[in-house]
Amino acid sequence: MLVTQEFTVEVEGNTILDDLTLEYGPGVHIVMGPNGVGKSTFAHALMGKPDYITEGAVQINGKDLLAMEVHERAQAGLFVSFQTPTPIEGLSNYQFMRQCLKEKDVTIKESLGEFKRIASEYGLPDQWDKKHLNVQASGGEKKKNELIQLELLNPTVAILDEPDSGLDVDAINTLVRRLTNYVETDDSRCLIIISHYQQLIEKLNPQTVTVFKKNGTAIQTDDISITQKILESGFNAV
Amino acid sequence: MKEFSNVAENKYTAGFSTVTDTEDFEPGLTEDIVKKLSALKEEPEWVTEFRLKAFRHLQTITEPTWAHVSYKPIDYQSLSYYSAPKFRDKDDIPQEILDTFEKLGVPLHERDALLGLDTTKSANKDIIPTVAIDVVFDSVSIATTFQKELKEHGIIFCSISEAIQEHPEMVKKYLGTVIPSKDNYFACLNSAVFTDGTFCYIPKGVRCPMELNTYFRINARNTGQFERTLIIADDDSYVSYLEGCTAPAYDENTLHAAVVELVTHDRAEIKYSTVQNWYPGDENGVGGVLNFVTKRAMCKGESSKVSWTQVETGSAVTWKYPSCILKGDNSVGEFYSVAVTKGQQMADTGTKMLHVGKNTKSTIISKGISFGNSSNTYRGQVRINKGAHNSRNYTQCDSLMLDNSKALTIPVVMQYNNSSIVEHEASTGKLSEESLYYLQSRGLNPEDAISCVVNGFCKDVFQKLPLEFAAEANKLLSVTLEGAVG
Repeated sequence: MLVTQEFTVEVEGNTILDDLTLEYGPGVHIVMGPNGVGKSTFAHALMGKPDYITEGAVQINGKDLLAMEVHERAQAGLFVSFQTPTPIEGLSNYQFMRQCLKEKDVTIKESLGEFKRIASEYGLPDQWDKKHLNVQASGGEKKKNELIQLELLNPTVAILDEPDSGLDVDAINTLVRRLTNYVETDDSRCLIIISHYQQLIEKLNPQTVTVFKKNGTAIQTDDISITQKILESGFNAV
Repeated sequence: MKEFSNVAENKYTAGFSTVTDTEDFEPGLTEDIVKKLSALKEEPEWVTEFRLKAFRHLQTITEPTWAHVSYKPIDYQSLSYYSAPKFRDKDDIPQEILDTFEKLGVPLHERDALLGLDTTKSANKDIIPTVAIDVVFDSVSIATTFQKELKEHGIIFCSISEAIQEHPEMVKKYLGTVIPSKDNYFACLNSAVFTDGTFCYIPKGVRCPMELNTYFRINARNTGQFERTLIIADDDSYVSYLEGCTAPAYDENTLHAAVVELVTHDRAEIKYSTVQNWYPGDENGVGGVLNFVTKRAMCKGESSKVSWTQVETGSAVTWKYPSCILKGDNSVGEFYSVAVTKGQQMADTGTKMLHVGKNTKSTIISKGISFGNSSNTYRGQVRINKGAHNSRNYTQCDSLMLDNSKALTIPVVMQYNNSSIVEHEASTGKLSEESLYYLQSRGLNPEDAISCVVNGFCKDVFQKLPLEFAAEANKLLSVTLEGAVG
């Protein structure tokens, strides 16, 4: 689904990620690593954030990802949830989704219904669909809104950047339930989750774990017990 | 965005010109030309005098220079002051002109206006049209629809030339009372050489059943367009009036100096909306319309109301300040504006709210969006007179910038009593790469992403437009932005 080969990322003259060769197939994958090693950079470099310089090769479903513009990457099936998505005045949460879905074969009734259903499950206020995108929203609300977008856009490869941070206990339970359901209902989906939340990791039954290191490299393993080891002894243990 | 592919090569879709047989005046601005114009239109003597008085005053004044715009000096003697297509009567409009308006999507025939329904075949005769239209091609009005239906309500909707002939007492009573011919250089020029425009009168207690619309088309080269509009809303009446305009892409500047006067009597309301899409010139600033317009409303009666809404995307240079004189007690003035400039365009636009009566209220919401090397100035004046007790003004000016463009906000507030409240809010923002990246990461192409941000930014103003116009404004904005994404 998503394959990186000798993938290197430079931001403002600094090499943040160095020579990453990683492979993500269907199912759930966990990404871990100390603060500041470039986990978010990894996600946004794949999405094509302006001013990030990338080298190497990345394929999504066999297509050359790095040759694409940002919107083409999204259309090719990539999704990245933002930690702090930018506010857009005057554009409502649902209107934005409608814009994104206009080329797809989904009626307003279907997509609006689904939007409202997911919003209410996450405990978002009534009329959430009419609220302006990330305007006057709390950190948790923004996170939840990103997760609604994930489900509506239904990408083949989604990278979720710490989806659990900022969420309260109830919301985390909903998150775990919805993400479990998300991968179970369609086993062709690939979900790469940047998280250190053990409960989430256990529930989602990941296929691989990738650990990013301070020198910009990363290791990928299918030995899931590594997450337990890290939690007990820290990143130096691996 | 499929519509976009058609316009990608030529971003200004109205930039074509029409070849038609015309009657033109030779270039030049003299007393004889003014007399000749008045004679051609068979005007009564008081109109000729009105023109000549303005012409003589014009010789003693100069163009204003305080606006943040620059343009090559206008050679008034090299312009022609009259150009009209030749035809006998309004049932004999040349095919090429009919084609022009069809291409522009302006319905000249009443049946076309009925939402595409052909009433000649339809059994349902009760369909109520939503818009009546007066169409001005260069110096003359060529068609006015639904006059008969409007007449049943006592509403007069015709060209100003026709009004001078048919309703002289009414025109005489109001012409030049809101904007005296000595008001400013361009209003004075217009008073001397105005050619056509629209006249509306809404009688007491009548709510106009349809939107009244004037469509201005400049076609001739080297001809100035000087339209004159006069709208009178009598006691307890209401009208929503729309104005649209386009011009061909010529590589010299075209001068457009209009005057619009509105009068509202007791408890009357006029909602005046403009979508201005004159040719803006090419990316190097060659050609384009010089849009020097004086628009003012007199809220004469108590509790009367005037609302100006404008979406300005066209013209090389815009100089325009739709204003309200709030004379009647409890009268209300509103100004909602979206001005988009790109390339080398320059806009200096805003409003004046003059509070004279007690408990008068004004609201100003201005949204300026600038791209490329353009400059976009908001210029506003709020004046609350000593006797305008308990008056209120709220002003909000926001600007959004991209590239090397300049945005300037010049609000002036003069308050001469202690019982009134004036509020002002302003914001200036850059269209951030971060926002565009976020929107694109969900699959929107760059044009759609910009369009989302800009539409959101303009939402407060777009909501004030009548429904049909809002759709048009949205489309126009998209096409404008299409060319702005670099």
